Amino acid sequence: MSTMTLAPAREDRAAARPQGRLGQSAGWKTMAKAFGAFALAMIYIPLIWLAVMSFAASPLSGIPYPLTLDNYRQLGGDARWVTPMQTSLWLSALVAFVCMVIATVVGRAITRLERPGGVILLTLLPLFVPGLTMGAALFIFLRSILELKLGIWSIFLGQLVWALPFCMLLVLVIASRFDLRLLEAAEDLGASPWRRFWDIEMPILRPGIFGAGIFGFLLSFNELPRSLFLRGIETTMPIYNWAMAASQQSQIPIIFSLTTLLVAVTLPVMGVFFWFLFVKLDKN
Amino acid sequence: MTMQSRSDSPALPQRRPFAKRLLDGLKPSRLTVPTFLLAWSFLVIAPLVVIVLFSFLQVKAYRVVYTPSLDTWISLIDSGRWMAAVRTLRIGITMTIIEFVLAFPFALWLAKGCRSKTVKAMIITLLTIPFFLDAASRIIVWRSILGQTGAVNTALMSLGITDAPIDWLLYSEFAVHFGLLGTHFPTMVFPIFMSIALIDDDYIQASQDLGGGPAQTLFNIIIPMALPGIVAGIVFTLVPLMAAFVEPQLLGGGFVDLLGNSVNSALQQLKYPTAAALSTVVVALLGICLAVLVLVTRRRYDMASMFVAIRR
Repeated sequence: MSTMTLAPAREDRAAARPQGRLGQSAGWKTMAKAFGAFALAMIYIPLIWLAVMSFAASPLSGIPYPLTLDNYRQLGGDARWVTPMQTSLWLSALVAFVCMVIATVVGRAITRLERPGGVILLTLLPLFVPGLTMGAALFIFLRSILELKLGIWSIFLGQLVWALPFCMLLVLVIASRFDLRLLEAAEDLGASPWRRFWDIEMPILRPGIFGAGIFGFLLSFNELPRSLFLRGIETTMPIYNWAMAASQQSQIPIIFSLTTLLVAVTLPVMGVFFWFLFVKLDKN
Repeated sequence: MTMQSRSDSPALPQRRPFAKRLLDGLKPSRLTVPTFLLAWSFLVIAPLVVIVLFSFLQVKAYRVVYTPSLDTWISLIDSGRWMAAVRTLRIGITMTIIEFVLAFPFALWLAKGCRSKTVKAMIITLLTIPFFLDAASRIIVWRSILGQTGAVNTALMSLGITDAPIDWLLYSEFAVHFGLLGTHFPTMVFPIFMSIALIDDDYIQASQDLGGGPAQTLFNIIIPMALPGIVAGIVFTLVPLMAAFVEPQLLGGGFVDLLGNSVNSALQQLKYPTAAALSTVVVALLGICLAVLVLVTRRRYDMASMFVAIRR
């Protein structure tokens, strides 16, 4: 707000000084926007092209013409992607649920610590470890040292290590704006610990917890490097896509149409979620 | 009921409810945080320690031999795998510099130059979404854009700019850089954006009022105050780059063998100590980066300020 009221004054000053800020700032702002637009294009051109080429007769050719629905028809006729899809769906739901619970329970405990810095850093440590390294480390630890048989459970652990820090971050962001005096007030008014949690704390934490669920699901659903090593003989959706993309050229058309469908589902969910995060939370 | 009982005993000493409150408030955290940290250490720290130790072991006839040796490291150097490490470091640092040059002005504009909240929210959303998309299918598309018969070459040839397709566009280091660019941009923007957003506008205003030019304000005020974010951005970008394997595999066409691909192929060939040693290189780099991050951030910021930044 303060910047809004200061703006006219700033312009005057800029006009008074020849090498003032406005002339300069217009230049760097254009440059900054151009750089950002370029990087965003690098992210989104492949996505748009993916959707376009999923309707092309030969997706890897580079020419979207002639348009056809063959890839989607092929997708319908092929059953090999169904099992990985099912595995991914319920596994991600499980990861999301566990993330929500742990992030809530531990997140609200962390905010009550006197010096949470070290604990938070340790919690966020997996964010600093590349997925492939974490996958290889967990693989060697579980398979060679503990000599366990890998399977869905190890994929679950690998994805949990990846998704939980993000979920924890979300809950912590919300929990850190929570005024602990509200709980004391509730207690003074005679509320039981459970009531205090459910009626006072929960409504405030709810966006963070739901966010944790959505983040957990999506992060787990698209996780590749950790699952790749921890899979045992199981296959999730990203592993299937990776196997198709890395080896069999003939199967690529299917992943084009499949990913397009997935993106079509994911984008609106993300859009609504962020709209909630920014618009709704901003009002509170 | 409760009101009744409260008013019944108004003479109770002040201490008791306080102690009770303390118990109520602390009891869960006393148990939950250590329990969680213990489980978390087992899942995260233990494997990372194990691979460092494991790189000094050998596997013979599918059994782990628990005698320390340097064989893995020696064979790693002899077999020329270290070339992959050097190449990874080179591509990693190049990409980090490119991302920083692109991201810093953009983050500065997003934090201080962009007045519209809607635009800001939209850009943050756009930057976050790629986190949630499957890497393999996102990267494979570049083949149809950069390939010999891909979109770029087709366009160039039909416009008459070139006669023959440009073949270094795909299956080259150039293509790998291209693929990495989009993937690692958001991780550079976010920390820098947050730390710049934290800087009070009054500091910038004061610098101008005291006659500082834009360059002086940038180098004396903004960059020093945003340093933790800059370091975090570099760490969050460089570390995953050290283990990139999707882009080099799909776009490098076998010419760009990075550490990530080496780890992947070593594990597939059941050369676990080799994979462990290669991962150790990544972990060592990670340790150095983290140490620098902690040293730099300790001076000015505590972790709590990070959350203030996210809220803004």
